[in-house]
Amino acid sequence: MPSENVLEVIQAGLLTPLPRSPSFLLGVTGHRGQVIPVMDILRFLGKGEARVGSRTRLFLGTSGSYTVGVVADAVLGLRRLPVADILPPPVGGDAAVEHLLGICEGASPQDALALLNFPKLLQSARQRAVVR
Amino acid sequence: MIDEFSADPLSEVDVLFFDVGDTVYGTDASQVLRIDRSHPEDFVQPGLGSLRRGGRVLVFDTPEGEAHLKVDAIRGVRPIPLFQLRRMPPAAAAASYAIGVFLEADEAHPILLIDLVETLKAQGRH
Repeated sequence: MPSENVLEVIQAGLLTPLPRSPSFLLGVTGHRGQVIPVMDILRFLGKGEARVGSRTRLFLGTSGSYTVGVVADAVLGLRRLPVADILPPPVGGDAAVEHLLGICEGASPQDALALLNFPKLLQSARQRAVVR
Repeated sequence: MIDEFSADPLSEVDVLFFDVGDTVYGTDASQVLRIDRSHPEDFVQPGLGSLRRGGRVLVFDTPEGEAHLKVDAIRGVRPIPLFQLRRMPPAAAAASYAIGVFLEADEAHPILLIDLVETLKAQGRH
């Protein structure tokens, strides 16, 4: 995810579930006096579900005036990617593809990076939550 | 700063805390007329979670008369400084009766604040 959309990385604390919220919204947590909704991207994209444990991290993703905590199994770090190395997302893929900025190929297929379009993902999540 | 707030009763609100299943909720204590024993015909809001026994009800006033919301236990009423209350973030897309949260100092675990009248209005939605 582009670092411009990441405020910080925090340890996942206790989550307070929200009544009648979509399944990909796991609840809210408190951080520095703010209430942060916490989202499971895997559930949102229909790719499984995240496990929240004591070692789980949240990255605080931001777009416009919205800030959302996103569950991550691990935060691998920050990498500088040349724009020229970012390829367009594959055409005709599943729902996840429409939320990608692009793909960055690595030395092997395992090293490839899928770059999330966080503003679009957050917008879709909000729309999906409203139309329930 | 905090002392200034806590010294002024206008900067506090009485919050009644109650349990539904394993979850603690809070509500504006001024909405609650009384606490009573539950009866089978009393109202249950499934969105709050599964009741264990639902042995108590919060009795509150609505334009149509008194309503009784089943809960498991009443924890008590505490005066809460307004600065520890937060509105529900718009991105949370929570139910209409989840109006905000109580965020205790140094506590990452927010407690949901519930509007009792809205729990009744939300019944039958979805």
